[in-house]
Order: sequence, then C-alpha cells, then structure tokens
Amino acid sequence: MQPDPGAVLSIRNLSRLYKGFVALDRISLDVRRGEKVVVLGPSGAGKSTLIRCLNRIEPHDRGSLHINGQPITARTDLIRLHALVGLVFQNYNLFPHLSVLDNCTLAPRMVRKMPRAQAEALAMRLLQQVNIAGQARKYPIQLSGGQQQRVAIARALCMQPEIMLFDEPTAALDPEAVSGVATIMNDLAAQGITMLCVTHEMRFARHIADRIVFMDQGRIMEITPSEQFFTNPQTKRAREFLNQMIG
Amino acid sequence: MRARKDHRMTSVMARLRCLCAAPFVVATLVIVLAAVLADSCMARADMPPPLPGFIHDGTLRVCTNPTLPPMTFINGTDMKAVDGIDMDIAHALAAYWHVTLDVTTMDFTGLFPSLAAGHCGLVASGLVRLPQRERNFDAVAYQDTALVIVARAGTQSLGSMADLSGRKVAVQAGTSYSTRLTQENAALVAAGHAPMIIAQYPTEEQVVQQVLIGRAFALASQDVELAYRREQLHGRLGVIFTPPYPEYRNFALYIRKDTPDRALLEHAIATLRDNGQMAAIAQKWAITPEATQAPGAHAPAPAFRWGTFFGALTSAAFLRGAFITLAVAVVSHLTAIVISIPMALVLNGRDSMLRAGIKAYVALFRGAPTLLQLLFIWNALPQFLPFFREAWFTPFLATWLALSINESAYQVEINRAALSAIDPGQAVAGHALGLSRGQVYRHVIFPQALRIALPPTINAFISLLKTTSLASVISVQELLAVTQIQVARTFEFTEYYAAALVYYLAMVFFFLLVQKRVERRFAWAGHDTAGAHAA
Repeated sequence: MQPDPGAVLSIRNLSRLYKGFVALDRISLDVRRGEKVVVLGPSGAGKSTLIRCLNRIEPHDRGSLHINGQPITARTDLIRLHALVGLVFQNYNLFPHLSVLDNCTLAPRMVRKMPRAQAEALAMRLLQQVNIAGQARKYPIQLSGGQQQRVAIARALCMQPEIMLFDEPTAALDPEAVSGVATIMNDLAAQGITMLCVTHEMRFARHIADRIVFMDQGRIMEITPSEQFFTNPQTKRAREFLNQMIG
Repeated sequence: MRARKDHRMTSVMARLRCLCAAPFVVATLVIVLAAVLADSCMARADMPPPLPGFIHDGTLRVCTNPTLPPMTFINGTDMKAVDGIDMDIAHALAAYWHVTLDVTTMDFTGLFPSLAAGHCGLVASGLVRLPQRERNFDAVAYQDTALVIVARAGTQSLGSMADLSGRKVAVQAGTSYSTRLTQENAALVAAGHAPMIIAQYPTEEQVVQQVLIGRAFALASQDVELAYRREQLHGRLGVIFTPPYPEYRNFALYIRKDTPDRALLEHAIATLRDNGQMAAIAQKWAITPEATQAPGAHAPAPAFRWGTFFGALTSAAFLRGAFITLAVAVVSHLTAIVISIPMALVLNGRDSMLRAGIKAYVALFRGAPTLLQLLFIWNALPQFLPFFREAWFTPFLATWLALSINESAYQVEINRAALSAIDPGQAVAGHALGLSRGQVYRHVIFPQALRIALPPTINAFISLLKTTSLASVISVQELLAVTQIQVARTFEFTEYYAAALVYYLAMVFFFLLVQKRVERRFAWAGHDTAGAHAA
C-alpha cells in the first residue's frame, strides 16, 4: 500500500510497541487537506498514542508516516516537523512563567526567527480569534481552565501549522468551558485547517467531524463518515461504545 | 613564644624532596661558586653575600602568623603591615642579601605545611627551637627566651610544677606545650598527685582570655610576649613560675632541610649580631628581664569600649576583610552554580559512567569537611603537582577552588531537585512547538527551576558566606582573620567580636533582602494572584 500523494497526512501500518504490549497495531489512515477527523474509542484504545506519534513526540516502531508527501522518520528534522504540526494537550501545558502573549510569541520568535513586533501582532490576532486578547498580559495561573485551553490553542496556531492535533482538549474542563473551546474549534474547522482530534465529547465530535475513526485495543475498528457513525456504526464494538456513551 | 608542634613529612615525601633537592644543591653551588669567583675577580668590597637556595627570583619569601607580639603581629589597623622582632630581622636579612622581602601571613597551623610545600622559603613566627622540629626542618636560633607559667595578678608564686596539680592550664593548640605538660603530668601521677587539666585553644589571645575570665588557673607562655603584653593586660597577669626546662631557650628561624642554606643563614644572623643590628632590635622592643616580673595592682576589667567598637566598624581593615569575605563567597558560589548545572542535568538523565562519576564527586565533597578540603588543596596538592607551588597560586585562588568544588556538591542537589520538580509536560509542550532542546532548557525549564532553586540557593550562599572564615587558616585576610589579629593586638575581645558580628549580619540581611526582591518578580507563581481569574 503506497502513501496517498493527495493526502496531507498518510499513515501506513503504523505500530507502536511498549514493553510486552502493542499500543498501536498496524494503523493506516489518510487525511486530506482541510479535513476534520475525530478519533473516538474507549480508554486505553491508543488514541493519545496515535496523536503523539503523528507529532513524533513518541517515535513509531513500525510502518510509515508521510506528511505533505514527506516521510517522517528518525532522521526527520523534528523542529521543522513540529512547526508543521501543532499539538494541543489535555492539560494545556502553558508555560507558567510567561505571560499569555509571551507563551504565544516564544516559538515564532525562536523557531521562525520572527521579529518581536511581528510575532506579537500575529499572537494578538490569534488571541482575538479565540476571544482572549484581553488577557494577553496576564500569567496562565490567573486564568480559568477554559481560558487556558484557548490560550494553548492560540499558541499552537501561532506556528501556523498545516495540521492541528488535539489530544482530549476538553477533558479537564467544566461543561461551560467545553462549549467555549468547542466554539473555537468549530471556527477553526470553518477556516479549513486540517484537524485531528481525540475527544470524548460526542456532540462535539458529531458536529465537527467529517469522518470518525473508531479505535479499540490499539487498532482502528472502523473509519466512517460522521453522520453514519452516529446513526449506523459498522461494527458491534462501536455500537456498544455509543450505547454506553449515550446511555 | 609558642613552642610549636612539629609537622612530620611522610617518607615518600622526604624521598621526593631528596630527588628534587639534587638540582637545587647543584644550582646553589653554582651560584655560590659564581659569587665567589666574581668576588675574587672584581675584588669589590660591597659585593652582596652568597644567596641561599630558598631565595628565588631575588625575593625572600617569609611566612608568619602575626598574632604573637612582640615577635610578629599587626601593630595597627593596616592588615598588611606585619610588625615585630621577627619582621625586623626579616627586613635586616633581606637587606643583608640585597633582595626584596615578601611576607605572607597565615594561620599558625599552616606555617610548616606551607614551608614544606614551598610557598615560602623561611618561617619567622616566634617559633621555639625544638629538637623534634629539627628532624624535618633546619632551625637557626636568633633570640633567647624562657617558658613561663602565667596566672592572674595576685596569684601566689609556685614552688614547683607540682603545685599545678589538679589545676586547669590553658595552652595554644598546635604548640608543643601540651606535649611538655603531659610529660609533667606523668611525673605528677607517678608521684601520687592529680594531673593538670590541659585545655587547648586555637589562638594565643584566647588562651590568655581563659585565664583573665578565670576559666583556667594558669597558662604556659614565653617570657618576651608577656613583657610586651603588660600594657594591654593592664597588669592583670603575672608570672608565677619559670620551669627549669632546658628546651624552650631560643626562638629560631626555620627553613627546609639544606645544610649549605643553613650555614648561610647562620652566617647572616651572626653578621647581624656582630654589627649590632640584633641588639638594636631587642632594645627597640624592650625585651629586658625586668619586664617579665609580675606587676603589682590588679586593675578591674574595663566595660565595653564604644570607641574601639566604632573604630573597628569604620576601619579600613574590617571593610577590606568584609569585602574579601564577600568576594570569596560570591565568586565561589557563582563558580559552583556554573559547574553544578550540567552535573544536575547528567544526574537527572540516564545511567552512565559520567553519572556514576558525578555521584562519587558529590559523595566525596559533601562527605569531607570543608576545612580538610581547603588544607588539602593548599598544602597537599603542591606536593603532588609542583605546578601549584608557583606564586600565581595564591591563597585566594586556593580558597576559590576549594569552596567552589565543595559548594558545587551541595548546589548540584539543589539544582537536581529543582529540575525534577518541573512538570515533564513543559518540555513536551516546548518540543511540540518546535523549540530545540537548548531552547527548551533556556526558555522553558531553567526560568521555572530558578524559582524553585532560589530559596535553598540563597540559604546555601549565606552558609558559604560564613564558611569563608575557614580561609584564615591558609592566610586569606577575610573578616574573621582580621578580627582575630586585631584581638591579638589589643585583647579587646568583645568590641572586635561585636564589630565582626555587625558586618556578618549586615551582609546576611542584605542577601535576604535580595531574595525577597527577586521572589517578588515571580508573580507568575501566583501567591497573591491565584484565583484572580478574569472570568
């Protein structure tokens, strides 16, 4: 199976092995430019591991990974890769010693060598987009969880990545904050950014996703268009999962 | 006046020194020969006498512990101006040989090790000539003296040493008095008497103070010092007995063992005696037999002298001492921080040979006493590595080296703990944004670790600031060394101790203030701002 040259992200037989256990088992997936893919599945299915392998924060052990047609291997310039693929964490991981604005400008200035003024203008534009420009001078500890997650999204966007990866971005948030973050992600989706998102928010997933990837025990069980997955999933395992989530 | 304990060289060292001595002997002979030839050929009357081998580069290097008036002491507040009989003789010797004089002051216990290590060519420090010392060093006598037993004024004179039975006698540690008094104790016990209780104190002025405040009954000392101290003591002490010891009769200059050098030094002293210079020096310092007699009235101890206290507080000597204390502490700690950061990173990393090596380093330098490390670097290192014998290796550098290494062993633990306290997610987030490893450390990890490491680091620094007082042992003129030298000169304990205390407290409070100010800059840590969500 050759990588799909038209796909921005092309995964073939990707495996990730931990000691005595297979975290990812021969994953294959193509994501087209501008597509929104949501990864669903029970805990321990390997969803987060998959996301982290795509950014090579964890290296994969077998199989291949192509981004924009370029193979990603141990020899890939990780700094360039990281600038290409943005990642938003479940627990935000903002830098507590930097202001909101400095959190956003650090990477553009250091990695892209952007002048400070230009980096700040870019950051302010993106902070505005996530509705938090008013807090630009504050430190992360002064913000609520939802606000922090929006800052984390703006920070990742400041690197102007081709692909945005979200690793359970709303898992640590209260319901009100979830809807705030969901709104932001909807906006991003509307702008045509390629997104791959791990989440437990069914409503959000159904609303945003073009396709649902359902995983269990390190394997992809099915890849189904969003509407069809929620009304008529292909596998018994997915049906059970949905019943549990809704029931 | 002190009879000092001899410092034995190991046999290995002695052998090394034999190997090294051969070229020196040859060189000396060549110099002597050349001088003799020059003398006979040119027949100049004012030709300088042949130079002994312990003079290098036209400089006579003399080591002394200036706490022993009138032999060697600081006669004023200028810490560099060593005065006394020994210094007058040193100047006379330098003039005699037509060379420059270089005087290094140091703690008493450092004198013989420094001589052995070649930091100085001659020790002139009121040292008594003793046979056990002459096993390792050559001695040349220059001044008569006698050992005396001294007690508070008004104490009845003793009939014999047996009258000291059961009494407490204070002596300076590192001197041979305790050995001599222990022999006396054996005789007392054999005769069915209780032995003397021998109490050792590190400096001479402390020995005197024990008798003045009544903690010890008597002290063992040398007559010339007592004569000189009469004024300072306000007639509060007097000689109660002069034991008939055949040793303790001469003060001597000590050099490394070398027969031709010894002959040259003896000849030089004889020349000074013949031309009347020695007599002039003795007269200048008023060493006469009458001076040692017990004076009459018992003067009351004066109250706190505010003038002395403020004088010390504002003196250039104390200011300079405090500056040296601060400089030693700051440069040592900065160096320690610089070395300890990479070590902490390795310690927090994977198992490796390097990591095991750093663990051993930390265990060694945290385990060994700081004073021992300091003495090792100053006195033992030059014996293995002649490189460290040269003039560039000053006591300040030795202290810097010793304290940096010692402090880094503590600092590495502080750094390690601070680095481990940073959430690993921070580094992951940094890498996910495209930052390189170095950028992640520089912009993400270190600024956060700094906040955690700061309070224990300031704590360690304050501790180090006080540890610098150990450097007085190897002749660094830091604050405590200055204080002790001033006390030795004046016997005004309380006033000078109080002045030193004020300096130490002022420095410590200053750094606590700095800590407060720096911590206030860590607003992001949110002690005041947590919960102030702009919702």
